[in-house]
Amino acid sequence: MSKLLNWLDSRTDYRRLLAPIRRRVLPNGPSWWYTSASCLLWLFVVQMVTGLLLMSTYSPSTNSAWASVHFIEQSPSGAFLRGVHYFAAQGMIILFGIHVIRVLLSAAFRAPRELIWVTGLLLLPLMIVWAITGNPLSGSQKGVAQIEVEGNIIGSTPIVGPIVQRLLIGGDEVGHLTLTHLYFLHVGLMPIVVIALLVVHIGQVYRHGLTSTDDKTPGTTPRPYWPFQTFRNMVVLTIVLAIIGTLAWRQGAPLDAPADPTLSHAPRPEWYFRSLFELRRYFTGDWEFIATMIIPGGVLLLLLAVPFIDRLCSPRTSALVRGLFVVGGFGAWAGLTYASFARDWQDQEFQVAEQQFHDISQRALTLAGQGRIPPSGAITLLREDAKTQGPELFVRHCASCHSFADADGHGIVASSPSAPNLYGFGTYDWVRGFLDPERIASEHYLGNTAMSEGDMVSTIVDLHDGVDGDDEGRQTLVDQLNKAARALSAEAQLPAQAAADEKHAADIAEGSELIAGDLSCTDCHRWHDNGDLGSAPDLTGYGSREWLGAMIANPEHERFYADNNDRMPAFASDAQHPENNMLTPLELRMLVEWMRGEWYEPAVDENGDGLITTVAEWLQSFDSGSSSASSAPVATGVGQVQSQ
Amino acid sequence: MNRRTLLKWISRGLAFCCAAFVAVPGVGFVVDSLRRKPASTATLKRIAMLKTLPVGKPIQVPVIDNRRDAWTLHPAETVGRVWLVRRTDDSVDAAEAKIDAFTSVCPHLGCAINMAPSGENFTCPCHQASFGFDGEPLKPREPGQENVTPRGMDSLESQLVQDENTGEWWVEVKYEKFEPGLTRKVART
Repeated sequence: MSKLLNWLDSRTDYRRLLAPIRRRVLPNGPSWWYTSASCLLWLFVVQMVTGLLLMSTYSPSTNSAWASVHFIEQSPSGAFLRGVHYFAAQGMIILFGIHVIRVLLSAAFRAPRELIWVTGLLLLPLMIVWAITGNPLSGSQKGVAQIEVEGNIIGSTPIVGPIVQRLLIGGDEVGHLTLTHLYFLHVGLMPIVVIALLVVHIGQVYRHGLTSTDDKTPGTTPRPYWPFQTFRNMVVLTIVLAIIGTLAWRQGAPLDAPADPTLSHAPRPEWYFRSLFELRRYFTGDWEFIATMIIPGGVLLLLLAVPFIDRLCSPRTSALVRGLFVVGGFGAWAGLTYASFARDWQDQEFQVAEQQFHDISQRALTLAGQGRIPPSGAITLLREDAKTQGPELFVRHCASCHSFADADGHGIVASSPSAPNLYGFGTYDWVRGFLDPERIASEHYLGNTAMSEGDMVSTIVDLHDGVDGDDEGRQTLVDQLNKAARALSAEAQLPAQAAADEKHAADIAEGSELIAGDLSCTDCHRWHDNGDLGSAPDLTGYGSREWLGAMIANPEHERFYADNNDRMPAFASDAQHPENNMLTPLELRMLVEWMRGEWYEPAVDENGDGLITTVAEWLQSFDSGSSSASSAPVATGVGQVQSQ
Repeated sequence: MNRRTLLKWISRGLAFCCAAFVAVPGVGFVVDSLRRKPASTATLKRIAMLKTLPVGKPIQVPVIDNRRDAWTLHPAETVGRVWLVRRTDDSVDAAEAKIDAFTSVCPHLGCAINMAPSGENFTCPCHQASFGFDGEPLKPREPGQENVTPRGMDSLESQLVQDENTGEWWVEVKYEKFEPGLTRKVART
């Protein structure tokens, strides 16, 4: 072995090249304080390696960034690597702070080491750029919202701001070129610049660290670097990596919903930028660039000038000023950071919004499943998800008249309801309640409509008045209406009611006969082969996907309310000019599916084909699924509608 | 000038040319994004039917338009959201109805302005900038805390038009973006 190394040395002279490292001596002996530098360097190497590996699978495109990161997260080692990359970046920021404080307090910046100090400090803004350009690469809502706000912060700096902003996000708005620009900076330009600075920084450390005996402290013994300091370095590095590894394994790097400018979300910066975020509160309007540029830039310039200011002071003054500076600086940073977090903890609205955004993100991950992302990209997942969009669409288009709330008021409550509450529309309970003389003219059904004193209400009331005082006749009527309601609600073919419909098949068949027979519904309504259209809504297929879609598209159609339509607008009546319609075909489909409780859920058992299977589950899911501003907090109870 | 000096200068000159060979197109390519103009100019677009707007209560409406992003043309996509406030009720003739349109982009840093949970004013979730339904900044909720917004919500040009075929009245809005962070409203070009 040594023969081989001797041969190698004779050809390359590597021993002489490595001599400065092998023979490096610390005049004051080893110290745990010195470990921050080596730890930073090795974390940098870890970032290079993990970053390079992530590049093998990551795809920097608005269409595929989130999808590829989600794909990486599917592999345990991929998720671990990404977690390490995420947490090691934060570890570097912490260690950077410790390192700067250590050098500042020990006055290691003094001549001839000014260049070590300057090149080291220049790495600070570069680390910030590295973090800013890295976080949005996942293509997640949080990351992209962050770069949007950061771009606007840069853009509101006088003169150079707008130019830098455009260069950073690649144009006017966040888009394709934003990700490619950020990627170019993050994995291309930044490593080159940082490595160049590091070469100077470390080269200077060897040059001046080895020869200088200026600050030799009496009473210490000189020791060689290897192995005395190296041992300490490795112990600290191992501990740091163990912490990073635990975090990466247990928690992993977060991945929130795919970026979508239409998502409502309150972006917050990463914890290390929180102090600046807080500082901005105190400088508003045209003065904001003081908080975002002047103060951070001023602190950096002051730090850069430290070796030169230091010469003007006596050593005692310098030590005192530096001590105060470190304590004051750290105190200000910690105070601002704490103030910012405390504000959010106390902000109930923000907490609710965060929870809703968390739910949306979970939904996106559920929809993405394992390889279920469509070619149009991950953005489509939530945009075409009935569970996500349904409540939004309902609030926007329906909730000025209709509520969608259970008996306890959970769900979407119209501020001035003037039309039926559509919670559980088409279910047995909804239909049965409609046929109840006590309830049909209530606010829940037709009470606030033009039909509150119409033929339907009077027919139901008359039917019951006809059997007043006749207990047997009343029982027969109730029984008949129960069966009719069964038949009618079976028309909806609600997935959540499939089991109940099967169980009550006999009642449904009987009810169907009653609708066209004894109950004379077909005097006004059409029911399959009986009755005519034009005077009242068609009961054939009542509440089904097709019926509900057609009804929302055009309630004035002769199949529905025709001339008797109250105030409900036609939402998609113009097939020739879709731009005139208030709902696109996709929106209409999602609204109908959401109202019917039809949306993708991963299959859980042999019965579950991706759909919710019980009415209770379905109705409960509306409470947790609604993310609109006017919806009440998540309900725990099941509504009054139960599967019977 | 001796031969040695001449060779030195020629070498330096050639090295400079070789560096410029890569640097000039390189810089040009990077600053391309500074020169690129927005793909389309804003025009008045139909966004909502007048009769669907409640009086006095703001409604958020998406603006659907084609959007070009570098090499992709997104047909009919939500490009932004607009808060519409109808000021006059049905007693006023539709042609004379008054509508205010505000972009939902916060003039502070460009986050999306929401309805406050109380339903009585607008609020931006990023820094709690708050605005009345007239778009003007409100006094802060908590004493001693600044309302961070540099200006009121940006109003958008709007008009009412009647559809020739259906006779319905529609609200048309010209959706534009404005520079955030300034006290004056400056259209982004």
